[in-house]
Amino acid sequence: MDESVKTLLQRLVRRIPSQMLKTTLDKWGRLTAEQQQALDLTQPKWTLMENLWAICEENEWTLKRITELEMIYIIDNPDQGMWYAYQLLDPEDDAHCVELTQFKELFKYHLRELVRHVSVKIKKHTDEAVWIRIAWGDSFSRPNHLKPTYVVHYLQTPYVFVTSLTSKHRPLLSQALVLSTRYQTLKDANLSGRKLTAIRDLLMRQYQQVFPTKCPSPLAEKTHPALKKEQAGNAANRRRMATEAFGDGTLPQIQTAVYKLETRFKDPTNRTMSDREEPFRCVVKFSSNNLLESLRDCASSGFASTPVTPLLSSISLKGKNYFVVTDNDPGASSQTRPQN
Amino acid sequence: MSSLKPFSKLPALNSANILLVEFEEQFQLSLADALVEETAVTVNVRLAKSLPLPKENEESRPRIDLVVFIVNMMSELSFQSTEASLKHLDPGFFLGKVCFMVTNARNASVPTERLDSVRKLAASLHCPLLFAEDQTPAGVTNATERLLTILKVTAGHVPMATALYLSNLTRCTVPPDIDQPSFD
Repeated sequence: MDESVKTLLQRLVRRIPSQMLKTTLDKWGRLTAEQQQALDLTQPKWTLMENLWAICEENEWTLKRITELEMIYIIDNPDQGMWYAYQLLDPEDDAHCVELTQFKELFKYHLRELVRHVSVKIKKHTDEAVWIRIAWGDSFSRPNHLKPTYVVHYLQTPYVFVTSLTSKHRPLLSQALVLSTRYQTLKDANLSGRKLTAIRDLLMRQYQQVFPTKCPSPLAEKTHPALKKEQAGNAANRRRMATEAFGDGTLPQIQTAVYKLETRFKDPTNRTMSDREEPFRCVVKFSSNNLLESLRDCASSGFASTPVTPLLSSISLKGKNYFVVTDNDPGASSQTRPQN
Repeated sequence: MSSLKPFSKLPALNSANILLVEFEEQFQLSLADALVEETAVTVNVRLAKSLPLPKENEESRPRIDLVVFIVNMMSELSFQSTEASLKHLDPGFFLGKVCFMVTNARNASVPTERLDSVRKLAASLHCPLLFAEDQTPAGVTNATERLLTILKVTAGHVPMATALYLSNLTRCTVPPDIDQPSFD
């Protein structure tokens, strides 16, 4: 019991950067005033660890206390690891009446029914998000606190964001969520990224969108009278179409867009490949530090032809970054029509 | 297909008009800001992404004395756009009123064939080929000075020198062994 507490504390101290350690410990509030005074945060980490371990033994902190600290750190710095978005479907009649305490109790109850040894911690954050930390065990072993799964759910919305979930535990989490939120299924929303805030904004449409307008912009650029742009009209058009497709202002930062092509090979000069019946399987991946920003720039500078192809604009319109593209298949929910 | 004509309008007093054509529309902005600072002559700078130019500006556009094609060696698209734009220029321009300016030619990731193709293009059209460095202010100033030197001649401000005469001296030539593999 002691060893695991020490290991977890060690991991945490190593993981949290020195400049954030003070704020995180203060928020946690488990250190007494003298202990806080005595703790010198400018020391190297291994010394700090020794001091914290001494305080831990003095205060008799359990594993539960340390996981609180971890949760506080993760909630304030969620942009680590990969987050995956999921959507709950087919609500029951009382799905919109589910409130916090009911959700908490039901979730813990159902998860414990499914997995004998599991450690669940639920916390409500200020912005309507419910954070859940799950340490998984199984019928024979204790929960593993070194690889917890974090789940963020916005009550009253069907969206769930998950990080560090293995495929073994996915059906269990899915079942517990579905039963506690009164929906019927949980499906993959095909959206992933490193920044939780970005994928949340993209999926829940919380970024600035632009509506097409014919009014000219009131602010004109001040340029030297001898300087004239010949094709300013074209440039303005491209910019307008780019902002219509992707949005104006700061865009949510996603890193990749993956298109899985299952279309037939089309090249009039290559008969052998084009005459094949089966689709030409190919995966196209776009990656960037800030993908939406780069795509918008490509469209407004003329690199990508405008009007922006629906394949690209669906990323922000549908809030997804994984697409399966097939030939002429309208009406399928997770597919986009290829541009001919 | 409308093309830009060199001598269809009358020149204005003490002014020179330059057209900068660049696919990326980056370097032309810094060049333009530096060019308009020139005090001896009134320099009018027109910026375009590619040719042909829109018909709406036909009336208000002054007589263009020099057309500069800015090619970014890092991008194949830039070169292809330049080649496509050349078709929309009246042949009269190629008697000394066209100039090629190349950026990022020193970059190691540029394939040598691209620079060779630009060289051959400039040589076949009898135009000068300038190399410019666009990232630093010193590079921009340098490029501006060189363009102004050519612009003043093509606008007729330098006595005893004409555009055709200057281009004969400054035009790009290709070495006879350009198609041989190089050893670097």
